[in-house]
Amino acid sequence: MQRDSIQNTFKVAILLCLVCSVIVSSLAVGLRDIQQEQKEAFRQQNILTAAGLWDTDESTPAEAKAIYKRSITEVFVDLETNGVARGIEAGDKRLDPKAAARDSNMHTMVTDLGDGVRDIAGIRKREHYSTIYEVREGDTLQTLVIPVRGYGLWSTLWGFIALDMADMSAGPVGISIKGLSYYEHGETPGLGGEVENKLWKAKWPGKRVYDGDWNVQIEVSKSATTDYQVDALSGATITSNGVTSMLQFWLGEQGFGPYLKSVIGAAATAESVVVIQE
Amino acid sequence: MADKTAKEVLFDPLVNNNPIALQILGLCSALAVTVKLETSLVMALAVTVVTGCSGAAIGFINKYIPDSIRIIVQMTVIASLVIAVDQLLQAFAFGVSQKLSVFVGLIITNCIVMGRAEAFAMKNGPWMSFLDGIGNGLGYSMILILVGFVRELFGSGKLLGYTIMTPVTDGGWYPTNGLLLISPSAFVLIGLIIWVIRTAKPEQVGKS
Repeated sequence: MQRDSIQNTFKVAILLCLVCSVIVSSLAVGLRDIQQEQKEAFRQQNILTAAGLWDTDESTPAEAKAIYKRSITEVFVDLETNGVARGIEAGDKRLDPKAAARDSNMHTMVTDLGDGVRDIAGIRKREHYSTIYEVREGDTLQTLVIPVRGYGLWSTLWGFIALDMADMSAGPVGISIKGLSYYEHGETPGLGGEVENKLWKAKWPGKRVYDGDWNVQIEVSKSATTDYQVDALSGATITSNGVTSMLQFWLGEQGFGPYLKSVIGAAATAESVVVIQE
Repeated sequence: MADKTAKEVLFDPLVNNNPIALQILGLCSALAVTVKLETSLVMALAVTVVTGCSGAAIGFINKYIPDSIRIIVQMTVIASLVIAVDQLLQAFAFGVSQKLSVFVGLIITNCIVMGRAEAFAMKNGPWMSFLDGIGNGLGYSMILILVGFVRELFGSGKLLGYTIMTPVTDGGWYPTNGLLLISPSAFVLIGLIIWVIRTAKPEQVGKS
């Protein structure tokens, strides 16, 4: 058969595609478990980093696993009832937002969440169940790590925001940020990708989130002066706006806002009960 | 062109025919990953492996590739190899693959790989093409390591993450050169390297 004949061209093309596909997919499937383990470890490290419990420069990944085991309690939240989820165990598919997005029983379209609700974070679908991470000292809740995600310029950014809950008696204004850490995104390296920059991440601790009426006031701003504003990333306006929008969504009425209200409310009730008993 | 010996094929691209310094290929990734020495080393290794293996693969099948689809065939082979490298990095060197992020996938766009496939591997046997790929990969690596070394050391006072000169921002004495942390500095450094090489080897200077 002639090398440049049409028959041979097709034959070579098909054969090449078959061989390459087999090699690539075998690798992907074969390595998937190891990659999953790595991703899970990385996710745990990010939760710890956001909560200020672990620093990549100071400890090893193996230590991170140990720290996670002893410091973090996973709580499954039902975003429809805004309370602790019932009948959900770790590993349940409904807890994985990516899996939930594929099954219409496991999520609601954001625009269907209520009258006039807009998809400010660009996530389209909100899952029914989510995991939040508590750091407790004895029985007292110290830190709450909440998963956040939203659209930036080129991609959805996935991260964790850690809230300092030590000052719960002061109500919503007592909640401050311990850290914001992104572990997955496809923003431009050097521009939007600077959400990973240590110096920018260092601007978040101590910032406040809510005003007295539980309105989300935290924002990323070009001229950041108040306790509610964090300096925007230069050259990355849209990514910065995306960060603001996703925080407004996930800390607001459609996200974990109502759950946080109940946590603070419960703490206030518990305190007043203690006072009465004394 | 007279047939080259294996030794020439392997070592020419280091100085005599350096892909970055003489062929002026593969600059984009050279600018992007050389902020730190660690990412430079991993990228250098990845490109060397991909260029060598794609050279060998294409060298094996070059007799059978119809002329009309040869570029796409080369691209398919290289893309498959790049995906393979990316998968392996994600499985066994997750931290590094996170730092390199998109740049591993972009190796397919690195002109060096396609350039050697078309210029050499299409016309030579698998062993020579493999050596040519490794040689060009090493030439690329040399420049990358040099640039990465200078940029990390003088841009942040560190090498491979270890502090050599404590920066002022960490309470030390060294005022870091912020210019070295942005891409144009890599451009300038490569220009300086080309200047040095062409002063030592005037035959590389182009005709004006």
